[in-house]
Amino acid sequence: MVILFHFRFKYKFQDIDKIREEYKRHLNSCQGPLIICSNHLTLIDSIIQSLGLNSILGHLRRYSGLPWNLPEKNNFYHNTKWKIICYLGKCIPVVRMASASDGKKSMNKMLYVLNKGDVLSIFPEGKRSRSGKIDDVDFSYGAGQLIKDIPHANVLCIYLRGKKQGGFANFPSRGEEFYFKMDLINPYSQESGLRKARDLSRQIIEKLKIMEQEYFNDIAICR
Amino acid sequence: MNETQIYDKVVSLISPYAKNREAMTVASRETKILEDLGVNSARLVDIVLAFEDAFDIEVEDEAADNIFTIGDAVTLINGKLN
Repeated sequence: MVILFHFRFKYKFQDIDKIREEYKRHLNSCQGPLIICSNHLTLIDSIIQSLGLNSILGHLRRYSGLPWNLPEKNNFYHNTKWKIICYLGKCIPVVRMASASDGKKSMNKMLYVLNKGDVLSIFPEGKRSRSGKIDDVDFSYGAGQLIKDIPHANVLCIYLRGKKQGGFANFPSRGEEFYFKMDLINPYSQESGLRKARDLSRQIIEKLKIMEQEYFNDIAICR
Repeated sequence: MNETQIYDKVVSLISPYAKNREAMTVASRETKILEDLGVNSARLVDIVLAFEDAFDIEVEDEAADNIFTIGDAVTLINGKLN
């Protein structure tokens, strides 16, 4: 995977050492469960994110810091090769538009790994962006549904984007350099039930939207 | 509020979220909200919360999970109001 990433596709990160140092600081200082919420542009965002947060050796040394991912079962569990990759890469398969009982089973697995002290990564939009930008209108409330049951949840918002990324794309371009910024928030809501889930999800999306705007402001300044 | 009034109100609350406008015009109690009307599953939460606000009721998570058709919604709301 690393060989493909660096040598075949020639992907790289902007300020990789800084990213990894910052993630390590968050892992060391966070009290309570840590949930990563990131924007979602390509099919391999989880892989890019994991390789950005730490080296393979670093993840092996601190396996709890390698985030659990939630791949769509239909996209990644159709052949043995991908099943093996997902198993090794700490994946909890989820089915879009699952029944309530299947959804609850997945949610219980997520809560289990979080309470064990592991990190979990979720895409709060609920789907890949079709426009190349965060959808702050038609997003799902899955992140909020998860967090509402976790007191003192720490949410690490990550904005990840290839600098050549335009609109919709399945994969980053070859030779892509990734912009990768993170910011820790502790979303809170006085609401309860579904309203709380919606409120918490909105807070996360709003934060990611701000981070996206910062990216585009940075790009504009550099030009 | 009688059941017909509840039904009309439920349909009006679901309508903005229905992508299948044709199915919306022929909707009935048996119409499935997600499959037939093309409502995004993420928006079902918004619909349930709209029911709560419109009818001044509280819908438990477990009850919300069992709303599949327009009729299910009407039955649930009727049970809470009457």
